[in-house]
Order: sequence, then C-alpha cells, then structure tokens
Amino acid sequence: MTTYYPIDGGRSQLGGYASTTVRAGATLPFDDARHLQAHRWLVDETYMLDEQRYTDWLGVLTDDIHYYMPVKVTTALGSGYDTAPGMAHFDENKYSLSRRIARFATEHAWTEDPPSRLRHHLGNVRTFATENEDELVVDSAMLLFRSRGDVREAAFVSAGREDLLRRVDGRWLLARRHIAVDESVLRMQNLAIFL
Amino acid sequence: MTDHSATFEAVRAGMIPAHIYNDKEIFELEKGRLFSRSWQFVAHESEIPDVGDYVVRRVLDDSFIVSRDSKGEVRAMFNMCLHRGMQVCRAEMGNASHFRCPYHGWSYRNDGRIIGLPFHQEAYGGEEGFAKKGQTLLPAPSIDSYNGLIFISLDPNAESLKDYLGDFAFYLDYYTKQSKGGLEMRGPQRWRIKANWKIGAENFAGDMYHTPQTHTSVVEIGLFREPKAEKRKDGNTYWAGNGGGTTYKLPPGSFEDSMRYVGYPDEMIERMKETWSPEQLKVIGENGFMVSAASIFPNISLVHNWPKVEEHSDEVLPFLTLRQWQPISENETEVLSWFVVDKDAPEEFKALSYKAYLMCFGSTGMFEQDDVENWVSLTNTAAGSMARRLHLNSRMGMKIDGSPVVPALGPDEFAGPGEAHVGYGEYNQRHLLERWVDYLEREPNEVDAVSIGGLVRGNVGGTTCDSPCGDATTEPTSNQEAVSR
Ligand code: FES
Ligand SMILES: [Fe+2]
Repeated sequence: MTTYYPIDGGRSQLGGYASTTVRAGATLPFDDARHLQAHRWLVDETYMLDEQRYTDWLGVLTDDIHYYMPVKVTTALGSGYDTAPGMAHFDENKYSLSRRIARFATEHAWTEDPPSRLRHHLGNVRTFATENEDELVVDSAMLLFRSRGDVREAAFVSAGREDLLRRVDGRWLLARRHIAVDESVLRMQNLAIFL
Repeated sequence: MTDHSATFEAVRAGMIPAHIYNDKEIFELEKGRLFSRSWQFVAHESEIPDVGDYVVRRVLDDSFIVSRDSKGEVRAMFNMCLHRGMQVCRAEMGNASHFRCPYHGWSYRNDGRIIGLPFHQEAYGGEEGFAKKGQTLLPAPSIDSYNGLIFISLDPNAESLKDYLGDFAFYLDYYTKQSKGGLEMRGPQRWRIKANWKIGAENFAGDMYHTPQTHTSVVEIGLFREPKAEKRKDGNTYWAGNGGGTTYKLPPGSFEDSMRYVGYPDEMIERMKETWSPEQLKVIGENGFMVSAASIFPNISLVHNWPKVEEHSDEVLPFLTLRQWQPISENETEVLSWFVVDKDAPEEFKALSYKAYLMCFGSTGMFEQDDVENWVSLTNTAAGSMARRLHLNSRMGMKIDGSPVVPALGPDEFAGPGEAHVGYGEYNQRHLLERWVDYLEREPNEVDAVSIGGLVRGNVGGTTCDSPCGDATTEPTSNQEAVSR
C-alpha cells in the first residue's frame, strides 16, 4: 500500500528530452559537503524567486531543464496515481520559461504590475547522491505566500519538490524540477509566479 | 427580497448595474432560477472511456458521479447515499464497478443501483419493509450530450440539449468535432479566482475589444501574430441560439489555405472537410472567418487560437480549450479548464497543441493571467455602494436609437447561422445578459421530493409520490435517459 505517488516525468508528453537521473541510496548526512552545497543553492534560489530576479533565475537553469507541475487529483487509495493523466499546470522547457520571463519585461504583464509580494518558505531539504558525481537529487518542501493588491486576501500554495542539480563548469544548475502541489484546486488566481 | 425589476430593465437596455458582479441576493437568485434550470456541462465522454470509469463533478453545491456503467452507458448520479446522506464517492476520478458508502456500508453499482444493504432482513424486515430492488442513487433530473459533451440539468423538464444549444451547435462543431473520431479532453486544471462567474462568460462571448490592450505582452514576446488591433477589428462577433463568439478575419485563400495558415496539418484538414457541412466550410473557406473564443450560456467558454510554440520555427500551432466558470459565491469562481484536441490528430500535433495551450491559457497561461487580473479587480470594485449607482455602458456597436453601428453581415458575407457583425461591439455580452434576465425573471421550479424505499404516498411534506415509491424492477428506475456510447 502506498499513499505517495512520486511524480513520473514519463507521464509528461513534453518532457522526453529531460534527464532521467535518479537518486541512489539514503539521504546524505546534513554535514556532507554535497548536502551543504545543494542546500545553499536552494536557499539562494529561494531568495532569487522572492525578489523576482527571473533573468538571473533563467541563468541557473540547464538548457535541458524540465520544469513540471502536474495537476493533482484526489483518487482512491490504491488506484495507482494521483495526478491527472496528460495534464499539468507547468510542463516547461527552457524556451517556454524564457517566454514567460520575457513577458514580465514588457511593461504589459498586468497581472504582475503591481508585482506580487512573494515569500517562498523552504524547508525539509534532503539530498541524495546519484550514480553521477556531478548530479544530485534534492527534495524540499515549499510554502509560497503571495499577496496581491492592497485589499485582497493573500494566497498560498503548498508543494513538495524534487530537483535535479547538475554541476556544469563548476557551477550547480537546476536540470529538472518536479513539483507535487498539495491541492487539487489551486487557491490562487494564476501561477504567474514560479515555485 | 428586493425588487430587481429596475436592474433587469437596465440590463435589457444594455446599461449594466455594476453591482450584479458582486451581489449576494443576485447570486441567490442565480442559484434558484438559473443554475437549477439551465444545462450544465459535467464531463466529456473521453474522460470516462472505459466501463467503470468515473469522474465526480459539481453543479454549484451538488456533487454528481458521472460514470460509464458496466453496459457502457453514461450516467450522472447525485453523490449522496440514499440511507443517511453520506457522500458515496469521495475521489475525484477513477474506475469502479461499485461504490460503497463508508458510513453504514450500503453499496451501489456504477449505474446507481443498490447492490448491498447490510442486514437488510434484520434491520428492515427485508424487501417487504424496505424495497431496495431497483432503487438507485438519485439520477440527475436530465442528462443529454452533444459531440460527447455530457450535460445535466436539475430541471426534469429541460428542453433537449440540441434545442437548448440551437444554432450555436453549428459553431460548437468547429471546437468539438474536427473529425469523426471526436475529441480527446484532458484535465481539467482547477483553480479559484475571486471574480464573479459572469465576467469570464461575457469576455469569451464577445470581448474582442480587450485583446489589443489586455494581451499586448504576448504579442510583444513573439507568441502571436494576430491580436494586433487591426486583425481583431476585422473579425466578427456572432450570436446564435444559446451561445455566441468571435472570429478572426484571415488573409484571403481557400479553406485549405486558411486551415494551414493557423497551423493544421493536411491530414487533419482532410478530415475536417469530411466532417463539416458545406456551410461550416464556407465560413472559413469563402467568408474568411476563423472562430476564436465563444461562450455557451450560462457558464461554458471555448477558445481556439494559434501561437508560436517552438523556438526554432516560425510556424504557429492551434490549440483548443473548453472551460467552465463554476460559481462558488457572488465573488468567487472555480475555473475548470480542459485541453481539447481532435482524437485523430497526429501525436506530434497533440503534444505541440498541448504546449500551446499551457503557454496561453489555463492556470499558468500567459493570456489568461492578465484576463483574470481584470476580472478580480472588477469584482472587488463592484461590491461597494458606489457601484450601486453606476450603470456600465455595454452598448458598444449600437447607436443611441438602438440601430447598429455596422449592419449585420448578409448571407453572402457570412454563411453561419445567427447574427454577425464585423468590428467591435458588445452584442454578445448583451445577448448573454438578456438570457440571464430571462431566467432570473421566471419563478423558481416546484420540485418534487423522492422518498426511497418507504411507503410515503401523496404529497407529504413537499414530497410527491403517487405510487409506493420503489417499484421492484431490476433495471434502474431513473427518469433519465442514459447517454449511450
Ligand atoms: S449513510 Fe450511507 S450507508 Fe448509511
Ligand atoms: Fe482575454
């Protein structure tokens, strides 16, 4: 019996080009240098997302990134899946992410003007080695607080993430992000932001 | 309750009292008089392709299990146990031969029939005491389908869906019948917006005027070649039956040229030629109009558009989406948005079309994000007392005496049914809200209660039941026509 279905990138019709590197072994100890590097990377990235430095963010993504957030569905225990077949909120490659980011620079992306106030709360970071010493799998929990406009209620998105970090020319870059959102119905007017 | 006749009169004159977009009393009227009568979309057959497949969908506060039963028939059943009212199915989708109530264990087949009632003999004295044979979960009062789109109505005397759609069916085919194979519908993405449900329906029905302003950014980033003001202005708005929409004007060319221009591969174009009527082909091929957004009264909308989705190609790729503006309250709406594609389309087309959809519409769509920003803001403002003094001018396209700024297109200019006007106008928004007034002005339906398994006769406490309820038959005693495969 399982109550947790990890996101399967193979269910994406678009992610076929992405890395399929998987974790190996148990979590790395918290004082392992690899964990410390991965954790630091995520914390720095979190601030980047809060500050909406999206062009910088694009710079820490590999060219083959798959940024994937399938639609969660409520299913009976044992049905074998909990995401909608063939459907996602985000199913992005670098080009489509770059278009989303380019839009914010146009001065006509009304939904983020005035911009949201964002706070990504990052936690439960754990790191796994892979068979490749230049790739690490990192899990984390994310609670996003988003305040829109002066009178509207703030919105939240809670999600778990599984990232693949890859070392390229001595820098760690994000090569894959699977976002497991915790609600079937998002209580947010859109996802013009990134998790 | 307040007398709303002045509000309705103003709406009929194309002057929209702003408070209707955030008014608790109006919302109660909508619940009792509109959503209890109109046809409501619940699922597409492709979402439940196999025997036992089901999805759970709502009509406002009422939950329904929409399932394909063991004989392959599609059914919609009220998701409430006949015994003490527990929600029978708490998953959102899946496959099941039966549903078992978690409270006391009554179980139901996927056509709604009771198949298990623990201690039937000991607890009720068997069939004599409680006639369970043939009893079913309460079926949706009416169920009907068009091109595999399954609708239900809470009105047992609802007109047929075909009559309800009327001439709009002609346009609905462009979105939902591109080949004999029919549709594949995926999703829905679901999210909640703090906006009144009517705004989305109006916007998709006819608001070509907002495109150049609201959607400037997507043109600037190279995603679209069309929504430049000129192109949009040359399109038309049409209204027919219970729905209406907008079109783009295409460069001159044949049907094939036009379909290629928006990115359809030849094999799909060939199938469309076999599927659509000569008039349907003529609207595109001879008149040069291509459908884009549309709405079916009251709360379904459709989109057809063709962005550029690949980095190293200038080709555009069309996508289709169907969405439902599901009211939660006077100022909150759950949006359900499906990706729609022709089942017979090549896999590569399906993948790119899905990509196009994700980039433009839905919870993350770059088009939709800016739309919703406007609607949420409008809804907020409509709650205040000043909004009660303001009548929004929705008379675009019409002179002060009611005559049109641009005459309707003649039959040689536009082969589609209904009335179509080139250029900017709020004809369709007015049509939609006039329908809305028609419904809100009618007294609510009397509803008959159903008592299950008991022996209540006559009209008891609002219950009308002329014969012992629960005739012992083996087939479901539903008053619904199941939708056959
Ligand atoms: S409420 Fe369902 S069995 Fe009692
Ligand atoms: Fe729009």
